[in-house]
Formats: sequence, structure tokens, C-alpha cells
Amino acid sequence: MSDCGCDKARAELEEYLRNEICSTDAEDIRDHLETCEGCQSELHIGVVLTQTVQRACKETAPEELRDQLMARLREVQTH
Amino acid sequence: MTATAVLERPVVDWRVMSETTPDPRALFEEQAIPFLDQLYGAALRMTRNPSDAQDLVQETFVKAYAAFGQFEQGTNLKAWLYRILTNTFINTYRKKQRDPYQGSTSEMEDWQLGTAESVTASMSSRSAEAEAIDHLPDSDVKEALQSIPEDFRLAVYLADVEGFSYQEIADIMKTPVGTVMSRLHRGRRLLRGLLTDYARSRGLEVATATAKGSKK
Repeated sequence: MSDCGCDKARAELEEYLRNEICSTDAEDIRDHLETCEGCQSELHIGVVLTQTVQRACKETAPEELRDQLMARLREVQTH
Repeated sequence: MTATAVLERPVVDWRVMSETTPDPRALFEEQAIPFLDQLYGAALRMTRNPSDAQDLVQETFVKAYAAFGQFEQGTNLKAWLYRILTNTFINTYRKKQRDPYQGSTSEMEDWQLGTAESVTASMSSRSAEAEAIDHLPDSDVKEALQSIPEDFRLAVYLADVEGFSYQEIADIMKTPVGTVMSRLHRGRRLLRGLLTDYARSRGLEVATATAKGSKK
């Protein structure tokens, strides 16, 4: 079960996900993914993990911070 | 106000920019301030409390403003701001905030991090895991992020939330790309393990490897 391409694909799935590998490697992984449901679902978890973190970390700066900051920038320039 | 502004001497040397941009403050406000929410979000994950996050963001913007003449227009302003933010955090706030994990990531061995993959071996359990993670409340995700070591947390944040490339993260964190990759891998593995645990404790269906189909 180790020479089916899973080992290589698993090791590089995250780089594949982030588009950080060269095109030939990406092609190899894409080919492998087409036939391997295990690696597909592993990739899916990777995507979900990224989306989940993104969603949870959306923040809006408090208005008071914005106001204070603008005031400070004006102060810095006029002193 | 505009009449007096001409008479006042700026502390900052704007001569470099003045040829192309008559009003650097307007330019800074127009270009940099839109990143306020994002930088605040990052500062919150770094400092782990709103009051320090606000201070950190203010300091970052004041520094960025003072150095804005050195920023090369047309290059990546977001990455530039993140470099200042990260520097300021490391030099000022990290010293104030001590937790048992800090600076110790390199001493953590893989066995301490656990292997998320082994928890979910079968295909059906993996899709259950993905779904469970997807359904977790934001508060759980933030808590999980807070609890992983700082270097891992930062790498994950910069890659997953901000979408920076490995090279950009390497520049921001001042580490080699290989280190960035390893922090990301380990950080995400830790995070995944934690989130799966949370999901399980919330009663979300996460089939385990040992359950092997017995869970419908």
C-alpha cells in the first residue's frame, strides 16, 4: 500500500494545496488524486482546515482604536 | 487646518516622496489604513488579548507611518506592514508575555505533536472529520489556535488567514523557507488534532479509526 503514490502525495498535499510546488509535481499529485479517494479526502480536510481558520479569524478593529490611531497619526505629523 | 499644516515642520523626512505625492498623510491613510482590521486580527492572535492587540496595532501604524517614505510604491504594502507588526510584536510584546511554550517549539518532538492522520484512518471517518471541523464554532477554533506554540500559530495565521506565500512568510518571520514549511505542517497537524478533539467533545460525529464502520 506504500507504492501506490499515496506517500508522495500525502507528503506534498499541503504544498499542493497552497500552489507551492512545481507544475510537474502538481501534475503527479493531480493524477494520483483522481484515482485515490483516501488522498482526496485528506486534501479535503486540508481545505476545510484553512477555510475554518479563515472564517474564525475575521476581526473588525474597534472604532476607538481607529479613532485613536487617526488622532495619533495627525499628532505625529504636526509635532 | 490646511493653512497651518504648511507651516508646521514634520518630524518625518518626506522629501523622497514629495516629488510624486504632495500629501503623504493622505496617501498613507488611503493605502495603509484599509489594512487596520486585518492587522488587528493578526495582533489579536499574537498577543491573545484585545488591549495588547490595540497597543501593538497602534505602534505598528505609527512606525509604518514614520517609515512610509522608505516604502517602495508598487511593492507589497500588506507584507511590508506585516513585517513591521511582527517585528514590533517580537521586540516588545513577546518579552512581556511568557508562556511555557514560547521559544520552545524546536524542542518539541514529533511524538509530542501526535499524528492526526492515525486518528482518522478510513475514508468515511475523514469526511466525517472534515464536516465536524467545519461545524465548530469560531470560539473553539480561536481557542485551539491560542493554545498552539507561538511560532506555529503565526505561520498558520500568515498562510491560512492572510494567504502569504512561503517566501513572504519567511521574510516576515525572518526564517528560512524550510522552517516556515515545518512550522506550518506541525502547526496544522496540532490544530487539526485539537479541533477533532473539540468536535468529539461537542458530540459532533467524528468516527475514530477503531470504530471502523461500526458507527454507521
